[in-house]
Amino acid sequence: MESATVIQSKSAKGGPRNHVFPYHLLETPSENLVDRFLEAFAWVLEYTDYRPLLDTYSRTTAKCNRCAVACPILLASGDPRDIPCYRTNILLDIYRRYFTIDGWVKSRFTTPFELTEDVINEMGDVFYRCTVCRRCTRSCPLGFDHGLITRLGRYLLSLVGIAPKALQVSVEEQLHGETHNTSKVPQKGLMDVLSFLSEEMDERLGVELEFPTDKVGRDHVFFCAVSDYLMEPDTLMGNAAVLYAAGDWDRWTIGLCNYDGINYGLFYSDWHLENIIKQLVSEVERLRGRNILIGECGHASRAAHDFIPTFMGKRAPPVLNFMEYTLDCLERGKISLDPGIVTERVTYHDPCNIARSGWIVEQPRKILRSFIPDFVDMAPRGQDNFCCGGGGGLVSIDEMHEYRMEIAGKVKAEQIARTGAEIVVAPCANCKKQLKELVEHYELPCKVMGLHDLILQAIEIPGGKSTAERKEEAALFAI
Amino acid sequence: MDGWIQFAKGPLFAVTFLVMVLGLARQIGLQIYLLTVRKGKRLKDVPWSSMARETLSWTIPVRHIEPGTGVFSAASFLMHIGIILVPLFLVDHVALWNQLLGTNLPALPLGVADVLALLTIACAFLLLVYRSFITRHRLVSRPSDYLLLVAVLLPFISGTMASHPAVSPFPWEAMMLTHILSAELLFVLTPFTKLAHVVLFFFDRISAVHWQLRPGAGDKVAQALTGREVKIS
Repeated sequence: MESATVIQSKSAKGGPRNHVFPYHLLETPSENLVDRFLEAFAWVLEYTDYRPLLDTYSRTTAKCNRCAVACPILLASGDPRDIPCYRTNILLDIYRRYFTIDGWVKSRFTTPFELTEDVINEMGDVFYRCTVCRRCTRSCPLGFDHGLITRLGRYLLSLVGIAPKALQVSVEEQLHGETHNTSKVPQKGLMDVLSFLSEEMDERLGVELEFPTDKVGRDHVFFCAVSDYLMEPDTLMGNAAVLYAAGDWDRWTIGLCNYDGINYGLFYSDWHLENIIKQLVSEVERLRGRNILIGECGHASRAAHDFIPTFMGKRAPPVLNFMEYTLDCLERGKISLDPGIVTERVTYHDPCNIARSGWIVEQPRKILRSFIPDFVDMAPRGQDNFCCGGGGGLVSIDEMHEYRMEIAGKVKAEQIARTGAEIVVAPCANCKKQLKELVEHYELPCKVMGLHDLILQAIEIPGGKSTAERKEEAALFAI
Repeated sequence: MDGWIQFAKGPLFAVTFLVMVLGLARQIGLQIYLLTVRKGKRLKDVPWSSMARETLSWTIPVRHIEPGTGVFSAASFLMHIGIILVPLFLVDHVALWNQLLGTNLPALPLGVADVLALLTIACAFLLLVYRSFITRHRLVSRPSDYLLLVAVLLPFISGTMASHPAVSPFPWEAMMLTHILSAELLFVLTPFTKLAHVVLFFFDRISAVHWQLRPGAGDKVAQALTGREVKIS
């Protein structure tokens, strides 16, 4: 059964407010929602390790509200429901009341908090207003990970059938569909794209290359967000150019059974997260590859880098983000980038999934500074960056477009405008889509590109056309 | 009244202090149990040093002040300084510690202790005002958040009055008894309320550990809810 969820909640100025969220899918009947939610919560506490987390957090939450000034959504909306601590406390209240002795004792003596359908519906609303960027965690004196709690809340909601259609349809196709990827790109479609990319590289770079598919025993098995094959040919050609110029063309391959790095389980479901990871690792094992090389994509990189070791233990192959690989090639002198090609002012957007933990912050900057004369940073940057407003799966939800533009991405748009940059480098597929929409919405005088789109322009190709020649051709083509 | 004070200073102090120590030890024990037994196999990739560094950097939160948090952070920080230093290093308290533990701890000069106590009271009041009158603070506050601030204020106010009987409008004995009893109330509350962050401060910061999810748990939850094994095709 498919139906919209009607949310009733208090607005910032008080008073009831109705929301209809057409992006929510209620697969199961909405009867006994409260009982089913509590049952799901009980099983989650039984089999997962979330209980100690909830125990600790519900015992120490200081509710000091410092997170309020860190949240880009709250800064734009001013709606108190967007306070990270407020959202976290909805879940902690349920935990305290129904799953702790303190809560039970208190419920005997006072008018206790009661879980109702309204509360669950409010969760369906507020837990998907958050982009799970985890910026608030860095401003919490106690280090509360509100992102982790938001994700847990979304997981519990998904267990009673409340989850965005866009995410559910994608992961269903990825796990149970014929194509095993989120964009339904069939194997033949992939081969067509790869042959188009070969022709394009021949034309633009002057090298004849055939993309390696299903090669066994290679060092790197390449995964990118599958949507890149459809929407970001320059990023992929940039990746390929680096591999070719570095002399590693015979050391990588694309698997034909599974070529999608996307893992929406990261945003809302432990079950999906783990099974998509298993599917990815199976493909690497089938091809007897040594490493997993993930394209620029932020959430795909984090899902693989953080959760393959968690779920696969000793079977876990090492995970490399493409920007790490490119920097390594650059530092070892395997590739060279021409600093005279990209003359525009360039800035870099840190995708939350790879920057918040401090994993990939300086690598892309080192690459950019090596060949971009006019590179400017945003403020704040790196681990403290602002989310693009499309994180946590929100960018896939077309029905949230207006919300993403007017609220979630507003702070980011202002931040980009302040840099005066003509090119915004956004390495993550999700961020890229959101930022392109933001640039259009706010009519910002800049364009959004991947890091390897720029590298494609500036990389010296042994035996191919020179960078200057390519620049001239590109200018002619633009006319 | 003197008998009551002696009772509060003697057996009641011992019992409540023991409750606090044992309660906090239990909290630490639970956290170590979580880390070693439940998460033991998945701890090798946890960035312990950066987490420890983060924790330390928050003990002096100067570099964490962002626009809009200045007054609140300063008030909160000063309140914590007072709460840590005055109970431990006030001359009268140091005498008690030395008597109890046989140590020879240094004491804060009286004037400094007085200023710290007054600052703590002022800051706690300010935080109470924030919680009561600013919407976004009020919205996330539960009754315990207000009551615990009052519980922290009580021993400081009564203690200040007891140490300055000349300016206190209440009898010294009443103030002293209130001071001791309210401090003992705090001892008892500490392990069972959010005051437990006195020891959980670091353990709250280990979310990197909690992100290491348990393998197979998702499958088990799905199976329990649907009554069948849920497999990928």
